[in-house]
Amino acid sequence: MHPWGKFPRKSFVDLGVEAIINALNDAGMQWTDIQAMVSGCFIWDGVGGLLSGHSIAAVMGETGIPITNVFNVCATATSTFRAAYQTVASGEQDICLALGTDISPAGFLPIVGGENPEDCDYLRWKMLGITNPGYWALECRQRMERYGTTEVDLARAKVACSKNGALNPNALYRKVYTVDEVLNSPMVADPLRLLMICATRDGAVATILCSAEIAKRFTSKPVMIAGVGLGSALYGDPTARLGLLAAPPKTDVPMLSESYMSSQMAYRTSGIGPEEMDLVELPDNSSWHYLQYLETLGFCGPGEAEQLLASGETELAGKIPVNPSGGMACFGEAVSAQGLLQIHEVVKQLRGECGERQVQGAKVGMAQTYGMLGNSAAAVFKV
Amino acid sequence: MDAKKPRAAVDGLFTMDPEEPRLIGGKCSSCGSYFFPKFYQTHKPTCSNRGVEEVLLSRRGTLESFTVQHYPPPPPFVSPRPFVPYGLGLVALPEGINIIGIMTGIAVEDLKTGIEVELVLETLHQDEKGNDLLSWKFKPVD
Repeated sequence: MHPWGKFPRKSFVDLGVEAIINALNDAGMQWTDIQAMVSGCFIWDGVGGLLSGHSIAAVMGETGIPITNVFNVCATATSTFRAAYQTVASGEQDICLALGTDISPAGFLPIVGGENPEDCDYLRWKMLGITNPGYWALECRQRMERYGTTEVDLARAKVACSKNGALNPNALYRKVYTVDEVLNSPMVADPLRLLMICATRDGAVATILCSAEIAKRFTSKPVMIAGVGLGSALYGDPTARLGLLAAPPKTDVPMLSESYMSSQMAYRTSGIGPEEMDLVELPDNSSWHYLQYLETLGFCGPGEAEQLLASGETELAGKIPVNPSGGMACFGEAVSAQGLLQIHEVVKQLRGECGERQVQGAKVGMAQTYGMLGNSAAAVFKV
Repeated sequence: MDAKKPRAAVDGLFTMDPEEPRLIGGKCSSCGSYFFPKFYQTHKPTCSNRGVEEVLLSRRGTLESFTVQHYPPPPPFVSPRPFVPYGLGLVALPEGINIIGIMTGIAVEDLKTGIEVELVLETLHQDEKGNDLLSWKFKPVD
């Protein structure tokens, strides 16, 4: 990986190249060993970014390998991972690299593209000015009214992540926050305060996937991919979906249905359920997400997430450690790279290489991320 | 000098009736799904997708949720200077569709869910000539 931060002198190519070199060194491989590559599109600047895999392969040295560029917004990187998995699992190639690299705009993530009156994303900015935290706040308030979620519950999510991030040398924000500090941070989109929302940052991660047979050549302790999932939304999803102006809510459809579908697919393909998971990296874009995803992913029932968090069971020594890396709360979100950051953490945890933040005895772990307009990806790992 | 004339900030989203403006949505005559804006069609998975018609959505609904944005959003939103925190509401219409809109006619600290609101047209910002550009907003019913 390339660490998370702001690197004004570096391009998305620089970040991606460094991540690839680090991954190759970790695996004991050469660039010429890579037989295929799936790269997350860098959407913020021009065609060279949309074809990020080709731009970066040029720097690494063009070898003629199949390269696909993928964009699924914030689920991009996990989607590259799924495609790389399929490339190897199908038998087409033995060694495939998945890459996510991003330099995300600071502050509220802005509109992508021009003033197209038939683009709902343009209309939401133009006519409403509703930011991403604004959407999350609409959901968060409904949760508070439905289950009695308090501001303290929301603050606890940040506190829990910050304790883990403080132990992670790769984390960008390493301060341990108190509930009071979170509650005294500026209000951004009521009821969500600044320290209840993740920042946006730059970063890159590369992962190398290979067949079990090939893996033996490079390591005696491979981490196995137990299953992958990719989901899109269900008709009638009640969530006020990022980028839209309206939703047709149906009572029998789960909220964040794309994430429900991707996690269910990952559970089905891996044969491993949430009750067997030793740790999870989930998308804590905001404190609301932290709570909601505990339920969407099946780690507790509806309305039980606040209690699970307050009981300490989501901490490193708890029943289901959540975001041992520190999560987006401690890294900030780099749109097209975020999912592979989560996968990086799960792999490191299962290898037992996480030092002070190591989840003891971790054998099975999950990474799940989601993006706007209804898309989500997940992966389950085991050793 | 021409009189300054209000116009829609983006055409095709609502009627310009000053007394009883309505959002212009769509309805599928095969599956009955409503959607807004009218171009963003959302059909049931088993629908044959035939016979979409333009419909005017109900003016009144219930405030399901709200937020108050305390920082100016990025362009193309045009924020007043100095910026004033403003409310956004999620409003359930009788058609079975939730619509997001800016809240008006109520102090942000008085916002609460469950209240009945109605659609109004108000100035979003002005163009370079000082003409008012309008958007839909939701206002509590007295």
